[in-house]
Amino acid sequence: MRPRMTAARVSHLAPCLTALLLAGTAITLSGCNEGGDPKAETGANPTLPALVQYLLPPMNVAHVVGWKQGETPTVAPGLKIEALATDLQHPRSLYTLPNGDVLVVESKAPPAPAPRRPKDIVMAWVESWATSGGSTGPSNRITLLRDTNGDGVPDAKSIYIDHLNSPFGVALVGNDLYVANTDAIVRYPYRPGEPEMKAQGTTLTELPGGPIDHHWTKSLVASKDGSLLYVGVGSNSNITENGIEAEKNRADILEVNRDNGRWRIFASGLRNPNGLSFEPQSGALWTVVNERDEIGPDLVPDYMTSVKDGAFYGWPYSYYGQHVDPRVMPQRPDLVAKAIPPDYALSSHVAPLGMVFYTGNALPQSYRGGAFVGEHGSWNRTPLNGYKVVYVPFSEGKPDGMAQDVVTGFLNSDNQARGRPVGLAVDKTGALLIADDVGNTVWRVTAAGG
Amino acid sequence: MTPVDHLEPTARIARHPIHPMLVPIPITCFVGAFLTDIAYWLTAEMMWADFSAWLLSAGLIVGVLAGIAGLVDFLGNRRIRSQPPAWPHMLGNLVVLVLAFFNTLIHSRDAWTSVVPTGIILSFVTVLILPVTGWLGWSLVYRHGAGVSR
Repeated sequence: MRPRMTAARVSHLAPCLTALLLAGTAITLSGCNEGGDPKAETGANPTLPALVQYLLPPMNVAHVVGWKQGETPTVAPGLKIEALATDLQHPRSLYTLPNGDVLVVESKAPPAPAPRRPKDIVMAWVESWATSGGSTGPSNRITLLRDTNGDGVPDAKSIYIDHLNSPFGVALVGNDLYVANTDAIVRYPYRPGEPEMKAQGTTLTELPGGPIDHHWTKSLVASKDGSLLYVGVGSNSNITENGIEAEKNRADILEVNRDNGRWRIFASGLRNPNGLSFEPQSGALWTVVNERDEIGPDLVPDYMTSVKDGAFYGWPYSYYGQHVDPRVMPQRPDLVAKAIPPDYALSSHVAPLGMVFYTGNALPQSYRGGAFVGEHGSWNRTPLNGYKVVYVPFSEGKPDGMAQDVVTGFLNSDNQARGRPVGLAVDKTGALLIADDVGNTVWRVTAAGG
Repeated sequence: MTPVDHLEPTARIARHPIHPMLVPIPITCFVGAFLTDIAYWLTAEMMWADFSAWLLSAGLIVGVLAGIAGLVDFLGNRRIRSQPPAWPHMLGNLVVLVLAFFNTLIHSRDAWTSVVPTGIILSFVTVLILPVTGWLGWSLVYRHGAGVSR
């Protein structure tokens, strides 16, 4: 017997079927959902939409154009901004020394591990669009800026420590200068006034580093009495896709004993904690945290929070308290039950990487007592979010009010990146300093007319 | 009746048809991806999900090449096209490629939901279709003589 389905009959069906399949493809791929108003998910009680899982995660990377001659970010009324130092190589964080010298930590991501799956290759390619156009230099060093005549503009610039391993955090205790490389905390003997560190560093303790080193920035702060160091260790994946064993001692803030380098996990479940700072009124440790990706343009809000000793903040098993993430297996209901929500949402995918509490008195009254947050900006959300420095007012040691835009204009009108803010510091005169790792500039914000 | 002389494939190298040389690769990859999906489902060990993602990507790329070669034969020779198994063979494998495309996207998610449940279901459906379209394809060769030179 011949098959009864004749060629003629099937050929009628064929175009319909093909059209149906192609239409299905088009609808599913173009059905990208746009993010809502970030204000709705800023503050103590963010609106959390239902979780969506993509077929094709949005990769909305701002292409880098850099700053043209004379261009600067835009500041809020009552403020002015100028470039403090330019032609840097990926300046990522800043530290003001007691004598007013400013350390600029210039840092590049450690080499990527071998791709584990096809997605790693595609992602690396797309993310390469977002890296700085101009800087191909060595980076991974600390540059010292010195203002010898007190006009606020540094007139001396020197390479202070070179050949570091993707450094980020810096903390000075007495004459011990600690640098948090991506794989270790290293101590140097600090001598005020020296333009260059002559001595070799000694390792205080190793930190979780490569070969996979997904979130590599190690934020550092010393306790008030100087006996302890707190270091942020980011997760080794978005959401455990590199295997749970890669997450040992990660997504944690570690408390390191300065005498002997022994450490313990101070708090856990913090996906990528940065900007570690002590809130001046309560004395509590605070951090900004980058939350997980690929479950929606408005999930999960990045946040700032006080960090309680022994607390678990959810990652990877849950977000914002007890919202379970279905991508993690095996699940851990026992840990989810312990997860506590953070204090203050900054809205989704803004990528906060820097935070500083403002205790100076050089900026207008409205900026005193709260925290500035450097938002590096989103890569997986439409429309773009972040790419600015905001101010969160505090009262009685807690956030009190809506986050306000302070420094914007890192994106131009075509949504191309002229710069991206990262680490923040306050200089000796009370001006706000901003590290811009794409614009390769350190910006200085002061009061207008001051 | 000997239709053999008239069923010459258009996509060929030195009179060897390209399409049947390529098809074993996507078939192996898609069957393999279903097996590694099962292994991930049972163990939650990311290594297996990573295997699935590589297998699906490789299967999809070579599958598209095999599809192009097959489509050239299909469109290039009216007599091949008019053999009864030709249309269902072509359409069935088009469905396989569309499923594999979506399955590759699903497998690009992170961790558990890259496989369970949608990914492993798509892998299973793909593996269900393959014997049918494979049977039809070999019918074209063994019974109808497509690509057989003498």
